[in-house]
Amino acid sequence: MAEFLTAKELAIKVVICLAVLAVIMCLCAMVGTQKVSLAKVFAGPGEVPGQNTDYEIFVGVRLPRVILAALVGAALACSGVVLQAILRNPLADPYILGISSGAGLGATIAVLSGVTWSFWGGSPIALFAFAGALTTVWLVWCIGRLTGKSQVTTLLLAGVVVNAFFSAVIMFLISIAKSEQISWTVFWLMGNITEKDLPVLWVSAGCILTGIFGLFSICHRLNILTFGEEEAKGLGVDTEKTRVVAFGFAAFITAIAVSLSGLIGFVGLIIPHGVRLVFGPDHRQLLPVSAIIGSAFLVVADTIARIIVAPAQLPVGVITAIAGGPFFLVLLARYNRKISWLK
Amino acid sequence: MNGIIEVENLSFGYRAGEILKDLNFEVMPGKFVGIAGPNGAGKTTLLNLLCGLLRPKAGSIKIDSARIESYSVKKLAQKVAVVRQEFVPVFDFTVAEMVSMARTPYLGTFGFESKADKKFVAEALEMTDTAQFASRPLAQLSGGERQRVFIARALAQNTPILLLDEPTSFLDLKHQVGIYDLLKRMQQEYGKTIVAVTHDINLTIQYADEALLLGADSNYHIGKTNDVFSQQQIEKVFGVRTFTGKVGQENFFLPLGKFAKDNQIITRKPPISQ
Repeated sequence: MAEFLTAKELAIKVVICLAVLAVIMCLCAMVGTQKVSLAKVFAGPGEVPGQNTDYEIFVGVRLPRVILAALVGAALACSGVVLQAILRNPLADPYILGISSGAGLGATIAVLSGVTWSFWGGSPIALFAFAGALTTVWLVWCIGRLTGKSQVTTLLLAGVVVNAFFSAVIMFLISIAKSEQISWTVFWLMGNITEKDLPVLWVSAGCILTGIFGLFSICHRLNILTFGEEEAKGLGVDTEKTRVVAFGFAAFITAIAVSLSGLIGFVGLIIPHGVRLVFGPDHRQLLPVSAIIGSAFLVVADTIARIIVAPAQLPVGVITAIAGGPFFLVLLARYNRKISWLK
Repeated sequence: MNGIIEVENLSFGYRAGEILKDLNFEVMPGKFVGIAGPNGAGKTTLLNLLCGLLRPKAGSIKIDSARIESYSVKKLAQKVAVVRQEFVPVFDFTVAEMVSMARTPYLGTFGFESKADKKFVAEALEMTDTAQFASRPLAQLSGGERQRVFIARALAQNTPILLLDEPTSFLDLKHQVGIYDLLKRMQQEYGKTIVAVTHDINLTIQYADEALLLGADSNYHIGKTNDVFSQQQIEKVFGVRTFTGKVGQENFFLPLGKFAKDNQIITRKPPISQ
């Protein structure tokens, strides 16, 4: 008898994954150069500020950073899932349509122009990166539509060309920049999770979770969109509308993630693949599970980046690339041997 | 006219020129119609027009008495199911997942199947004998099995009209006959209206009620299969001589190439009759 994914079954899986994620986030927030006792954290802040340092470190410093890593991980993983579906290309990642180079260019311009004003208590680099990312995606979308409404290949090529062009502009700008500006730009381009103010965190969380929810509502149509235009229309999917919604939400959450943390590679590529290998390609399940696993992966990676050479810190992008590649290869090898727990 | 498909003065062309010109025909509910013709005659184009993927340049198409343009993509998918030439999906969906996607035109916001949807899918799998590999990825099946899965999907879509584009290309004789037997059952047991584009004139004669023969010069012939397909007509439209035989009341045609063995058989032996 055929097995069907039911809403109840999915809800149970998601709740279990969320519980595991919560434990991982909690454990990661406890780890660091300064050990934190959970008992002291639960004791509360105390009457005088600074009285309970464990609480201050856990709630004030590490938890926001862990939450930020979780949000960025979820956004990149979801974006990867969606772009792989709408482009019908397993090699697609969140940066394939020029978001990385656009954000990079925005950030480079911000650093080189030496803007000093702050935006909502945050760095103007994030704002420039966000604007750069969205402008580039819009540009790629417009170029992609020049040859027709549904030319996925043209869209992909437009992304590659714009990426290459903007990367060249970034190189040019770096080559004429001062050395301290270069180190800032390169540090940003490598991808970093840093502490953010709470209002920035909550607004970002709201935007990313709304985006993910929006994407979840079209997941059953994304399944069919992977068969191509003709098949999808034959099965009653408005391909143009679905593609615009998917592309819009994916670009938006990626732009937020990039502006928060720079360019963190590998998450958007390997997490969807890993989850697909284990749970199958049904996007109704793939998207939410990828979001949670992506969160957990980046939270752990950021914790490693934070403690491995403490008190210094590594860019988290280095950890995701170093750990992600072999992890994915192991998963692929095990899957191919049809080990039962993976099925 | 009161056909479930009504085509009036239909014309369509690409930049290179007009392919279909002033086409008029109707398909009555529950009929099996085969569309034949040489390459480039516009068979697949006509199929794409009938499923709303292309818009006519002139004339009109009505599905169930309403103009095709008046249907939303979703509503049209509740009237017409399409089986195209087989393909392997990019991602490893199982047979059950593939077939259950046929229920998309009936699903709510988040796209989870109801009990009724699951019943349709289970029935379609049973009827097409594909339930045995429901949990296997589509890519692991043979061509014939895959084509049965696509037909199961069309059946689960529960539409009165089923359009097929060369459903038996790449299949061996056993599977070709198997697919046509399945289509005939769908016509007889479920009352489906079936329109199939095909290169196999003999299978069309054997299974279809009517045929539409599209010529390369925008001419067309429609009617009972025995009236549409004749030795002269085939030679005129396809430019190929045939040996004609008879099984029961039906004519059959064996194409004879210039260098085929015994191609003079046409002059030596009388038609076989049973």
